[in-house]
Amino acid sequence: MPEIRLKNLTKRFGKTIAVDNLDLVIQEGEFVTLLGPSGCGKTTTLRMIAGLETPSEGEIYIDETCVFSSEEGIDISPDKRNVGFLFQNYALWPHMTVYKNISFGLENLKWDKKKIKIRVEELLNMLRIAEYGDRYPSELSGGQQQRVAIARTLATGPKILFMDEPLSNLDAKLRMEMRTELKRLHMETDSTFVYVTHDQLEAMTLSTKICLLDEGLLQQFAPPLDIYHNPSNHFVADFVGSPNINILEARGNNVNLDEIKLDSGSLEFLFAPTTSSVNIRSNQKLLLGIRPEDIEITDKGDIQGKVYSTLPSGMETIVKIDVNNIILTCVVFGGVDFEMGTNVKIAFKSENNVLFDRVSKLNIASGRLM
Amino acid sequence: MKYRNKVKAFLKKPQNVILLSLAFILVYLTVVPMITIILDTFTVHQSELMRVKGSKVGDLTLYHWGKVLFSSSSKKIFYEPFLNTLIVSLGTCFVAIGLGGLVAWLVTRTNIRFKGIISTLFIFPYIMPSWTLAMAWLNFFKNSRVGGAPGIFTALFGIETADWFAYGPFPIIVVLGLHYAPFAYILIGGILRNMDANLEEAALILKASRGKIMRKITIPIVLPAILSTFLLVFSSAMSAFAVPAFLGTSVRYQVLTTQMFRTLNGLNPGYGYIMALLMIGIGILILGVNQKIIGTRKSFTTITGKSSNIAYINLRNFKIPISVALIVFIGMVCILPLVTFAIESFIMEPGNYSWSNFTTLFWVGEGNPQIANGEPGILRNPTIFNGLWNSIRLSISVAFIAGSVGILAGYAIVKKKGTRLSTMVNNLAFFPYLMPSMAFGAIYLSMFAIKRGFIPSLYGSFALLVLVGAVKYLPFASRASVGAMHQLSNEIEEAGTIQGIGWTKRMLRIIIPIQKSSFISGYLLPFISSMRELSLFILLVTPSTRILTTMLFQYNEKGWSQYANAINLLIVLFVVGSSLIVNRVTGASIDKGIGGH
Repeated sequence: MPEIRLKNLTKRFGKTIAVDNLDLVIQEGEFVTLLGPSGCGKTTTLRMIAGLETPSEGEIYIDETCVFSSEEGIDISPDKRNVGFLFQNYALWPHMTVYKNISFGLENLKWDKKKIKIRVEELLNMLRIAEYGDRYPSELSGGQQQRVAIARTLATGPKILFMDEPLSNLDAKLRMEMRTELKRLHMETDSTFVYVTHDQLEAMTLSTKICLLDEGLLQQFAPPLDIYHNPSNHFVADFVGSPNINILEARGNNVNLDEIKLDSGSLEFLFAPTTSSVNIRSNQKLLLGIRPEDIEITDKGDIQGKVYSTLPSGMETIVKIDVNNIILTCVVFGGVDFEMGTNVKIAFKSENNVLFDRVSKLNIASGRLM
Repeated sequence: MKYRNKVKAFLKKPQNVILLSLAFILVYLTVVPMITIILDTFTVHQSELMRVKGSKVGDLTLYHWGKVLFSSSSKKIFYEPFLNTLIVSLGTCFVAIGLGGLVAWLVTRTNIRFKGIISTLFIFPYIMPSWTLAMAWLNFFKNSRVGGAPGIFTALFGIETADWFAYGPFPIIVVLGLHYAPFAYILIGGILRNMDANLEEAALILKASRGKIMRKITIPIVLPAILSTFLLVFSSAMSAFAVPAFLGTSVRYQVLTTQMFRTLNGLNPGYGYIMALLMIGIGILILGVNQKIIGTRKSFTTITGKSSNIAYINLRNFKIPISVALIVFIGMVCILPLVTFAIESFIMEPGNYSWSNFTTLFWVGEGNPQIANGEPGILRNPTIFNGLWNSIRLSISVAFIAGSVGILAGYAIVKKKGTRLSTMVNNLAFFPYLMPSMAFGAIYLSMFAIKRGFIPSLYGSFALLVLVGAVKYLPFASRASVGAMHQLSNEIEEAGTIQGIGWTKRMLRIIIPIQKSSFISGYLLPFISSMRELSLFILLVTPSTRILTTMLFQYNEKGWSQYANAINLLIVLFVVGSSLIVNRVTGASIDKGIGGH
């Protein structure tokens, strides 16, 4: 049964449209990430589901209950929606101790003192902040504050948890660590997580499904690997993946039975769709997307290029190769390095290269390059 | 050699030179006067030669202290006014914070209408001279029992107002409370605006009721600001002179300042100085408490967050009634007084509001020997023009000196933050704020009446007024500047230093332009304050240096209320007008100077 359902959800701030006619169904137990560049409407969407922001139009259902409907004038207040919310800047109350911060929600539920104490201590231990119970938030480091905020949100055991860029204020190492913990937490609490981030890596690694938004419009809603390998349009392909996908401008023509001949000026390819055969107009303007890890540096390659720059990190090396004045990025795994300026040969090994229309930017087909 | 180089290196940095010079100047202009009056309270003067047996002028004595604090008459001289001061100050805080806090909350947290107009108009009572409202109160509610002609209220409704309502503590508290409410509004509103709305939302999601959020989250977080406001309003109310003078004197309701005016102006300046010292003591105590509160463990620095997406509380059905009620109320406090001044200044015989009694005599008349000693109407009266001119040039000079010194002080204080010298100058620059204006004036009067070192005798000179004004209002300018400098990253100046740009150019081309509006606020506040100041200058003016406010006071004392009302109208329009123009042109505003955001 669907846990959260958005229908035609729209939010306007004055003349600007923050969220445009969004339809979304989030199943129970999922870890859904709202992903997109800043200002794309992801935080607004989250706040609307939580009830902190009033939508301009549309309907929201949580657990089959209508919590908002512009037509019927329903607007259930946040405290009645039974959700938890983790704020980007933690929003810890500066005048309360860590213990007080965590117990506040339980007191509102009229738990008795003993039960509260047991529950708070359980959480303090679970998040490894037991020794800080008597401190004030300003006396904690960023990571510790983060844990307190999580403990406070979890205390009342909400079945739905909203998180608004909870890791963006942490340093890189801590962020890595917290990602693991969030994923464990998702499993242990068995709740539905809705998570906002602008960091594609975070979205890729954490979620069961990514909802990619741009300028208030839904771009794609799919599991991370689907998004990665089969992006619905050029924006999605470009936003997800690091280093960025290679995009070549080309003109295409149908040749043979179902192949497409691509001409990008200095380079020519034959594109064999693996999805389904496609018909294109003659000389149609296209974009070809090739993931960096799908370009292989090999002596067996038949395309000649020159090493333009290398960025070795130990685990992998990002190599930029100049092929007739087109710069292609590729990733070589393992601790290898190349001399800049040397000649190399490359080959395209994958079946996941993507073809987009240059005008509509939409995905036309995936396929092999020959 | 090593030390010489060290000194040389120290003096090469402009901020060090500024701090050192300011330390010297401020010690001379604030600490020395303090010591002078402390000594003065232990000294025998000519006037009490007879009462202190066997003494000569200049001898040490405990006579004054004993007389003020421990004699049979000390109840009348000191304790009663002291108690009255406490009552008035506490009451004022109550009114100011209740009203200012409520309006701040309505404007920052709810979907009330007319926010723009409300926040503009609500500042007015603070811009207007404090006694403006006091005079308006009298115009409205005075009764015939004490002061001759009855006010507009009685004239309109035929109901005689009660004495307690027309004079004494009640109207003083109301008027001072209204005057300082904008102060509370700016400070509390600033915190509310900066307070992360997520803090409240987090509580809401955890199922706390609106009332509980208010009690457990909002108020505790705003509490330090409320306490700060309380302390600042308390010390301001304590040193207020004009309002209690207007509303209390006629029923012999004395507070410390009015008592001080009597003693300083009269027989025994020693009494006055003792009162001044006690008031300064209370002021310092208050400042200490204030700093203690701000520096506690529960540090509220974490408050600043982005609160771009505040969801305003929906007042629903109450929205329109509350909005309208607030606008009407603010109109009554801000606009109506001006109307009464206008009306009163056109009335021939006070208390008679019939049409035939209206006259333009007090504005453009040539002067009738039977009325007010033949004083001509204020628009053709050279003395008034002289006073206006004096007021303007005084305010401009004071603003220029205080503002400029304030910028330098703020720059150097922030640059050398944490050093002992910087802390000392910071405190010295704030010290004049704590001195009751009247006492401050009295001290300067006695200190600079004679030639001191290279400074000639300044008694009766315009320079003395400028000096006392500049020192008294330095705190406004230095606060504004310290605040502005804190927001400015050091790297911005360092980027200039690296490129070899000289200090003067760095200040004029980089730092001042960036924080222009805050710095201009540092000029604006001293300007407005000296334009409407009375008690600071009242002991220092001589007939040639008379300014509008002291003339107003004199006209009022003589009972020529039409002239007084006309001048009052003139001052208010001038002050409000100039601050609005400065605000429009430069973006500087009063609230920036006080410490709002």
